Amino acid sequence: MLSGRGFNQVYNVSGGIKAWQGKTAVGPQTLGMDLFDGTESPQDFLKVAYSLEQGLHRFYLDMADKARTPAVLALFEKLAAIEVKHQDAIFDAYIRMDDAAAVSREQFDALTEKSAGEGGLTTDQYLKLFDSDLSVETEVISLAMSIEAQALDLYQRVGARMKNADSAAIVHGVAGEEKQHLERLGKLMDTL
Amino acid sequence: MKWMQFFTPVESKDYKETQEMISDHSPEDITILDVRQPSEYKQSHIPGALLIPLPQLSDRVSELDPDKPTLVY
Repeated sequence: MLSGRGFNQVYNVSGGIKAWQGKTAVGPQTLGMDLFDGTESPQDFLKVAYSLEQGLHRFYLDMADKARTPAVLALFEKLAAIEVKHQDAIFDAYIRMDDAAAVSREQFDALTEKSAGEGGLTTDQYLKLFDSDLSVETEVISLAMSIEAQALDLYQRVGARMKNADSAAIVHGVAGEEKQHLERLGKLMDTL
Repeated sequence: MKWMQFFTPVESKDYKETQEMISDHSPEDITILDVRQPSEYKQSHIPGALLIPLPQLSDRVSELDPDKPTLVY
């Protein structure tokens, strides 16, 4: 989030506070943003965002399966459902763009599914990377927060580059909801 | 479906490197940023760390100096 806003010397403390507490540090957390080189069009960003929402939806369903309390289960199910609405909003933003090729929802699905299949990590690989203990709810929620923060960051950057006002408003709306997700996850964390 | 690699690239520093960076800078020349929840911060944090919980970060970026090296956890 910071490195996209003029912070040129941002460093991730590998292992976070765990490393400072003398526990085993996790592996490298540096993931390349291979799909972006800074020259992408807003349409390209929207395709990535659509895939991201798909991933978030499935991630939350997976997390709901692993939930151990009704509150966490309900939260993850609700978050999963909201991500589907985000996909609708992103598709809507895409077809409203002046220079976007006319595509049906099915064609857009196929387009984004294809790009999502090229590289990237499976959910299990992703979880391993963060060394999260899924039996510990605070760790599951921390992981979800890190993902939501990345999504929020992506949408804020996309929104800033949108020339079409309608599309920008939709993306900002989705960004606002991702921010609310983060806040709700934070509040949930405080109750555990 | 596989996860897209959508993360912003950020260099990682391990415990030793983090310690070195902190000791090589005077406190006013480096930002140690804790983005966890206040309850976690209260439990333990790196000495001198500034707390801005992740949900608030996008609204509070202006509180930070982009020219200073920033360690985030």
